[in-house]
Amino acid sequence: MAYRIFIVDDEPALQNMVKEILTQAGYEVDAALSCAQAMERFPTAAPDAVLLDVMLPDGDGFSLFGKLREIRDVPVLFLSARDEDEARLRGLGLGADDYITKPFLPQELLLRLRAVLRRVYRETSGLSSLADVKIDWGKSTIYRNGSEVSLTAKEFALLKKLWEARGNIVTIDALCAALWDGPLVGYENTLMVHIRRLREKIEADPSHPKFLLTVRGLGYRLKREERQ
Amino acid sequence: MKLQALRKGAMLVTVSALMIFVITMLGWFAFGCYISDGGRGWNVPIREYSKALTWDGTTYTFTGENLLEKDRWMMLLNPQGRVVWSLRKPEDVPEQYTLTDVASFTRWYLEDYPVRCWVRPDGLLVVGSPKGSVWKHDIAMNTQDLLQAPLWFAGIFLLALGSVLGLAWLTVGNWFRQDQQVRDAARSNWINGVSHDIRTPLSVVMGYAAQLEDAPDLSPLHRQQASAIRAQSQVIRDLVNDLNLTMRLDCEMQALRKETLRPEAFLRQIGADFLNGGMGSGFNFEIDLPEIPLPEMNADPFLLRRAINNLLTNCVRHNSPGGLIRLGAKTAGKWIVLWVEGGTLDDSTETHAPQFLEPDGGAAHGTGLRLVTQIAAAHGGKTEFHSGTPYRCELWMPQK
Repeated sequence: MAYRIFIVDDEPALQNMVKEILTQAGYEVDAALSCAQAMERFPTAAPDAVLLDVMLPDGDGFSLFGKLREIRDVPVLFLSARDEDEARLRGLGLGADDYITKPFLPQELLLRLRAVLRRVYRETSGLSSLADVKIDWGKSTIYRNGSEVSLTAKEFALLKKLWEARGNIVTIDALCAALWDGPLVGYENTLMVHIRRLREKIEADPSHPKFLLTVRGLGYRLKREERQ
Repeated sequence: MKLQALRKGAMLVTVSALMIFVITMLGWFAFGCYISDGGRGWNVPIREYSKALTWDGTTYTFTGENLLEKDRWMMLLNPQGRVVWSLRKPEDVPEQYTLTDVASFTRWYLEDYPVRCWVRPDGLLVVGSPKGSVWKHDIAMNTQDLLQAPLWFAGIFLLALGSVLGLAWLTVGNWFRQDQQVRDAARSNWINGVSHDIRTPLSVVMGYAAQLEDAPDLSPLHRQQASAIRAQSQVIRDLVNDLNLTMRLDCEMQALRKETLRPEAFLRQIGADFLNGGMGSGFNFEIDLPEIPLPEMNADPFLLRRAINNLLTNCVRHNSPGGLIRLGAKTAGKWIVLWVEGGTLDDSTETHAPQFLEPDGGAAHGTGLRLVTQIAAAHGGKTEFHSGTPYRCELWMPQK
């Protein structure tokens, strides 16, 4: 089922463009041009996420954020032309899930929205596949050619962190932080060992990995798999 | 503008000092005139009275009535302390004096009358004034101290003058600073407002251009044109962002939110974001970090990331597809040098960021690099730009 996104922005041209981007990406979209219209449509729209402008003709997005959250606890991404630290920090401090500054690229908007939805609705609770490997996120188990392959807690946490950012490089430091609860120095070699063991379990040829790739000097990248 | 303001301030302080001097001199002159009584009062030298009192062998004659005010009196004591002549002498003033009496009144008062004395061959001339009319004080001073007195007075005067001038300088400086702050805030607000108004339409332009860039039903030429619109819109976006931040840093309106940063982790994340965001696509990217861990830095991660990103963007602009871009860090004494290398810039041998504002106030080329310099300076650091191949930019940051 497609996610429903609610846009609140007083600029019709921008609203139409965002609508088109989201619709083409497979989302269902509803929109409002003002605070009053947003309050009227929000309950019936029942969205899964809200894209909220900060400066609106009849109020500000920060106040509207609180009112919308009172009605329904949904992820909110601020979409604002205000780039001052104060505005960003205020938005995020209120509990918003992201703060995107205009102008933005469509791809950037989609990636950040997808990241928020994945985090909030825990997409990784079901089944995923990577070539001939099936990942059961609920049971924290992987299956290779139908057979269960045991993963240690660290290996599974590593796979999950890379999967959440699949297609993108995850730095050594971010992986260490995910595995050992903090940016620890000197864990790089231990991390390499975990990576090597994970490769042995998910790659057909661990010496020539096709999915878990090393980006020299930076970190690792889990390549996207077309059949996911 | 600043030089002109300083010149005005200096002139104001100089004029104030001159006025203080002139008014003081005039004040002393006026005081002198006020206390002057035409040469007949206390200030008339007693020698003159003595000259006017003569002995003709039988009697004393005084011819200086015009010099002596009506409320003043005189008397002449002989060597035995007896009054041998007097003029308007009060009744409560005795006729005979001992050595002790003379020693006392020559220095202080005679029966509370302020008196002055003059030694003559025939005795001691005493000139008295009404009670309470003159304040007398005996002054005695070590000769060495007396010689130093002018130096002390001059020093105290200069100290007082310096204090007054310093206070005036501070006050004037404060006025100019307040004036400058008002102008800076107005300028920053204006740029902030304009950039805010540009952002929304630019979003629409960038968004649609990016969509057209990927539209399968468009010809390659049209897709290429859409790509150019998108790329140039991003340049405008970067310029607007840089302009806003550079103005805030210039006007000291940007608060630094410093955190302890590990240079390796910080640079690796920037490198990953650079490649993940597609900025580095088409280029070879390398990260060069020393094997020994670098010391930590205390810096605003948002600003420092902005500075490094600007350097990377700069390398992309001056690089050819397939070219190498390198990001690295090293230590140099008490500094941590974060550097970006790649592309070519050989039209100058500059070692400083180019000027970003034209004389008419318009934005010039190099805003991004100027911002890097400003961010380094805000952290107590500096930048170095080395032209040539490869073009190398260094950001020198103090260690924590």
